[in-house]
Amino acid sequence: MSPRPRLDHVRRPAILAAAAEVIRERGLENTRVVDVAERAGTSAPSVLYWFASKGELLTVALTAAEENFYQQLHASLAELGSARDRIVRLIESASGTGDYDAALWIDLWARALRDEEMAGIREQLDVRWRRTIAAIVKEGQEAGEFGPTDPDELALLLGSLLDGLSVQIALDDPAGTPERARELCLRLAGRELGCDLTTQAVGTAR
Amino acid sequence: MTEAAVAEGARERILAAAVHRIATDGIDDVRIARIAMDAGVSTSLVHYHFETREALLEQALEYSFELAGDVRIGDEEGDAPDHTRKLAAMVDQCLPYPGQLERDWILWVELWLRAVRHPELRPTAARLYRRMHEWFAQAIAAGVEAGEFDKSVDSEQTADRVLAVCDGFGVRALLGELPIERARAEVWAVLSSELGVDPDHPAG
Repeated sequence: MSPRPRLDHVRRPAILAAAAEVIRERGLENTRVVDVAERAGTSAPSVLYWFASKGELLTVALTAAEENFYQQLHASLAELGSARDRIVRLIESASGTGDYDAALWIDLWARALRDEEMAGIREQLDVRWRRTIAAIVKEGQEAGEFGPTDPDELALLLGSLLDGLSVQIALDDPAGTPERARELCLRLAGRELGCDLTTQAVGTAR
Repeated sequence: MTEAAVAEGARERILAAAVHRIATDGIDDVRIARIAMDAGVSTSLVHYHFETREALLEQALEYSFELAGDVRIGDEEGDAPDHTRKLAAMVDQCLPYPGQLERDWILWVELWLRAVRHPELRPTAARLYRRMHEWFAQAIAAGVEAGEFDKSVDSEQTADRVLAVCDGFGVRALLGELPIERARAEVWAVLSSELGVDPDHPAG
């Protein structure tokens, strides 16, 4: 075997997925490059070939996790005919335990407190999320499904509520279950949009 | 002074130093030796009182919350002329206003971060959270009972929602993405609409 690392051997996406996994489990502070390499089945130099620092690794891993989240979300939203069903689906996807990566998010928040670059990334990701919410609100208003409310304001409100609830879920607070988070969000969003969101679960055919 | 009183004083100094250092450096980067130096005690004494970083964080948080507790869960807002003003004062206590509240807030975020990966800290987080929940739920229920709030209000749900929006807007204010007054107006808009009271914050 050659001692020289083979950079073409493991692709960037595999390293990213491994990095996201390890960071989620241990937190960035306790993640070593060698742990990521091991998880991805490659060597530390191969990881460092792609990522100059651990901070960069977190950033890119988060961005990749986000991409994944958005791909799944958009595919899932495309199946739905009404804005009402789309906003419900969005709330469900963000208040569950699976897709939405609260542990990575909280790591980013804590780092953003002391690191301007991280704060900038957090804000960028947040802006994208709020735009996604606002777009559905506008569609619903154009279709006459939702009442008049400022879509950007509602996006900020819903984003903040979901963040606060995701902390409770991430901490396994016995009172903060995904079902309860979902209900709390649907009630608030429904009231703001003038549209009952709680009556029928998305995807259940009549 | 008795030996016990001296030991208690040292413990308190360690906790005060820990709160300060955790808020400045972050729990992951805080150095035990630095806390010892700030508190004017030996490193081994800090280790003696707090075997792990998690224990230190937990105690520092408890300490910080207890100090704030006199203001927060105490009687200050008991002087409020009505339930609406009492709740408005409570909301203000839950946002990262500069000073003590901002420092508490940073510890709060550090607790989230640490508890995500250290399940043994989750009961502490849950306990602190429950305390806040009860505080709000009781104040809301009292206002409903007095006929000041909409009688259809579910005080448990409203308490959870107001705490979640305090956390969500609070973290944005803490990061400087939103002015603190905007965060307050947003939280109050949610709460006042649920309670059926004036959407303008009573403090103006």
